[in-house]
Amino acid sequence: MPEIYIDNKRYEFEKPGKVLQFMLDKGLDLPFFCYHPSLSIPANCRQCVVKAGMPVFDREKKVFEIDDEGNRVIRYFPKLMTACSLDLADGLVIHTHETDELVKEAQADNLEFILINHPLDCPICDQAGECPLQILTYKYGPEGSRFEHKKVHKPKAIQLGPRVILDAERCINCTRCVRFTDEISKTYQLTIISRGDKNYPTTANGREFDDPYSLNTVDICPVGALTSADFRFKARVWEMNQTPSVDITNGKGCSTWLWTRDNLVLRVTPRFNEAVNDHWMPDAGRLAYRKFNENRISRPHLRPDDAGQVRTSWNNAQLTLQEELEKVTADEILVIGSPHASVEDNYALRTYFGNLGVSRFRFLPHTEPGTGDGFLISDDQAPNTNGVKGLGFDEIDEKSLIKLIETGKPKIIAILDDDLLGRTALTEEHLASSWMIVWGTNHNDTTRAANLVVPVTTAAEHAASYVNVDGRIQRTVPAKETLYTNRRLNLEMSMGRLDHYGTKFDNWVSDANRIDCIPAWEFFSRMKSDSDTIAWESSRQIMEDIAGTFPVFREVSYDRMDEENGIQLKLEQDSEVKPA
Amino acid sequence: MSNDWKSYKPMLVPAIRDLHDISVYEKNNGYQALKKILKDRKTWTPANVVNEVKTANIRGRGGAGFNAGLKWSFMPEPDGKPRYLACNGDESEPGTFKDRKLFEFNPHLFIEGAIIAAYAMQIDVIYVYIRGEYRPFIQKLQKAIDQACEKGYLGKKILGSDFSVEMYTHMGAGAYICGEESSLMESLEGKRGYPRVKPPFPAQRGLWGRPTTINNIETLANVPLVMQHGAEWYLDIGPKTHPGPVLYGISGHVNRPGVYEYPAGMDIMTLINEVAGGVRGGKKLKALIPGGSSTPPLRADMLDGVTMDSESLREAGSMMGTAGMVVLDEDTDMVDLIWRISYFYDHESCGQCTPCREGTGWLEKTLRKIKDGNGEMRDLDLLLAICHRMEGRTICALADAAAWPVRYSIDRFREEFEKKCKKTVYAVA
Repeated sequence: MPEIYIDNKRYEFEKPGKVLQFMLDKGLDLPFFCYHPSLSIPANCRQCVVKAGMPVFDREKKVFEIDDEGNRVIRYFPKLMTACSLDLADGLVIHTHETDELVKEAQADNLEFILINHPLDCPICDQAGECPLQILTYKYGPEGSRFEHKKVHKPKAIQLGPRVILDAERCINCTRCVRFTDEISKTYQLTIISRGDKNYPTTANGREFDDPYSLNTVDICPVGALTSADFRFKARVWEMNQTPSVDITNGKGCSTWLWTRDNLVLRVTPRFNEAVNDHWMPDAGRLAYRKFNENRISRPHLRPDDAGQVRTSWNNAQLTLQEELEKVTADEILVIGSPHASVEDNYALRTYFGNLGVSRFRFLPHTEPGTGDGFLISDDQAPNTNGVKGLGFDEIDEKSLIKLIETGKPKIIAILDDDLLGRTALTEEHLASSWMIVWGTNHNDTTRAANLVVPVTTAAEHAASYVNVDGRIQRTVPAKETLYTNRRLNLEMSMGRLDHYGTKFDNWVSDANRIDCIPAWEFFSRMKSDSDTIAWESSRQIMEDIAGTFPVFREVSYDRMDEENGIQLKLEQDSEVKPA
Repeated sequence: MSNDWKSYKPMLVPAIRDLHDISVYEKNNGYQALKKILKDRKTWTPANVVNEVKTANIRGRGGAGFNAGLKWSFMPEPDGKPRYLACNGDESEPGTFKDRKLFEFNPHLFIEGAIIAAYAMQIDVIYVYIRGEYRPFIQKLQKAIDQACEKGYLGKKILGSDFSVEMYTHMGAGAYICGEESSLMESLEGKRGYPRVKPPFPAQRGLWGRPTTINNIETLANVPLVMQHGAEWYLDIGPKTHPGPVLYGISGHVNRPGVYEYPAGMDIMTLINEVAGGVRGGKKLKALIPGGSSTPPLRADMLDGVTMDSESLREAGSMMGTAGMVVLDEDTDMVDLIWRISYFYDHESCGQCTPCREGTGWLEKTLRKIKDGNGEMRDLDLLLAICHRMEGRTICALADAAAWPVRYSIDRFREEFEKKCKKTVYAVA
């Protein structure tokens, strides 16, 4: 197998590639700014320089030349080479800052160069704490600077587009953002303008940076030059907890990080997942943090008469549902599942009403044809359409649903988190003769029309799974507390730096912004029931039930989803085999 | 070599009236080299043309002085897909103004050379990248190209053979960096003029990812001479290591500045004193920048016996560059001059690589500080340190071009720099 020597240690490689990526894969350290594994390699920051050489090959004897001490004779390249653009080659010898003084010096020199015109405004910069320039300067940079002149001044706080703000002075011209719009989003909206130390990225004259993926440039910016108009100045990175999650605004289900502080989701960023979204996600998914924080339903709401909804206790909510169910027969109940809710919640809904003898389980897919782009934005507006389908809910279109309600006149309509009134032609008149219960996360037209509203958790508060448009099942992890959960007691909750290292004297634990809601499955397991099939303890346990019942989900478990970053389901099997 | 330069008859820009007109050019042996090749294609296979040019050792006139024929031989075998020749007429190095002479007075010689080059490398599209400020010369060249097309020297089935080649002109937009071959290609492709990372070299992946060769205008103008008279004849002009006629662009403090055509390897003092009429106002010579602003300046006492060819100049401590000689008399303020040169590089750095982007600005600011009388002795050490950090650490050679004049002028004119600096209490290394 071909081999290379890095700092006198031998490594083997199988596939051709570049030295920098190889080193990163091996966990070796080398500073860099402009390189990004998913973009082209411009080698312009000159930070990853190494000393490289090839052994001298004796073509006649077909062996490597050996010196007096029995070592290979190495012919080094006359200049330092950038590791990011250097191809792996059999016998290649690399010396990094660990074993070569010149390389060490070159890396420090380069950082000194980068910093001479950098404003060094870390105390007020959003990137501080997660800034490669800051981190690498502490690690590899010079002690100080010998630059004694006025720094170059460039435009600051330019609104490049609706979501991205540029501070040109902080820019180190790595061109990652330009390459992103050229190679990934293909909108070609950004370019570098001007020359020398006066250059910075911007749009063409009079154009807006309204790329639907524009915020990815903020993520890949190695300094604070591009910042999110939305998140700017809201929080310091080290104050937030970071929780793996899934984008719930779109059928693609990009892997995400939720950044939380004081039980508020402050921003959503993409999480690397080769199978779904690589390093990217659409801007729309990042705005989902609003859905987690704002306009939330807290405590059950009941409409005792036509006057309007009032808040009520959980106990009363359960008793009310119990009473209403006792008034009707099973075939007078219509249950509508939701592509917006998780697999577990839909399963709990189906199981609870299935036990009562209900057979009408429907769901209305939420697609808007023509809105998808074939990349990370799908026509499907809901994160779990395939999941509901897989659980045996019957797909129904808008017209049929309205007809079903108009003609069938179900006495009870049970709707799981789905704004049917808001997104369809369904009106309150259609529902006038029915008693409607809604499990909802946010106030909307449907919850306002309901007789009983049960507040349920969002993807930011529960552990639950979603099946994306391509049939990949991925799960969320609770990122923020509800009124009844506790970071330390809830075993599903992700633990951040502060959870691990904070003391009780730190003021990082806050009771603020906790919503009075529970996962939908928990509501059903609290309901009095003859059957013990719904006495679930956790969503993990529900997934075990689902895996045992539905063939599509046979191989799914939380552990496997965590290990493999989601599991690809074989949807063709579909849900032909329904549970007994 | 000694005195026969006086009897030398110019060949690149001969003194013939209206030579830019194709009929005049044809009357004076024009397009004979091309005809010679196309008439006898058995002898003059593309490979043989490349070999002939290689033997003639035409050193690239754009600055690097690389053997043109050798460069041609790097082109891979044709695979039926496009391949390109890009002719570099960007000519933006301060002190260089030779290609414009060719465009103005003998464009057909260059066109013929480019066609032969295209034939030798089996290329069917030629781009001529010209400095945008050369508008009148571009028009002249375009007219010449049109004439050549009419007469069947360019276009489909040249002179009845099955060899076809098209030639297009492209105007630069005023960036020095676009004279660098890889950013010239980027610019031709319609992109921002950023130099490319090598490897891959242009012969492997050039314009639009296809094999491409980039030659200087003057280099290509030498090709018809070689093909007409043979490599042996060509090697006899000037020194064998750097043969052929050279357009010397002499500027600065001389009595008769201008472009003069003489064999390579001319004695520098002869060029200054006899060809260019001596230093202006009878003053003493102080220094010479031998080949455009990026080549290290030489002190007058370093010029004894030095000739204008790569080897001799390298020994003396400089480079041939583009043979754009800038003559400086005793009144020249070297600090001011070097500041102005570094101001140019600061302005022209494309900003792609960190050391060059930041280093050129730092050099300029520090030199300005010294020039304005605010410098300190330690600034000189700082300048040398910055130069050291820039050299060889960037994608293209602009950083080296910016660092060398500074480094070598501090080296060679240190007392002038020190005189401008304030006395300090710090120890000076």
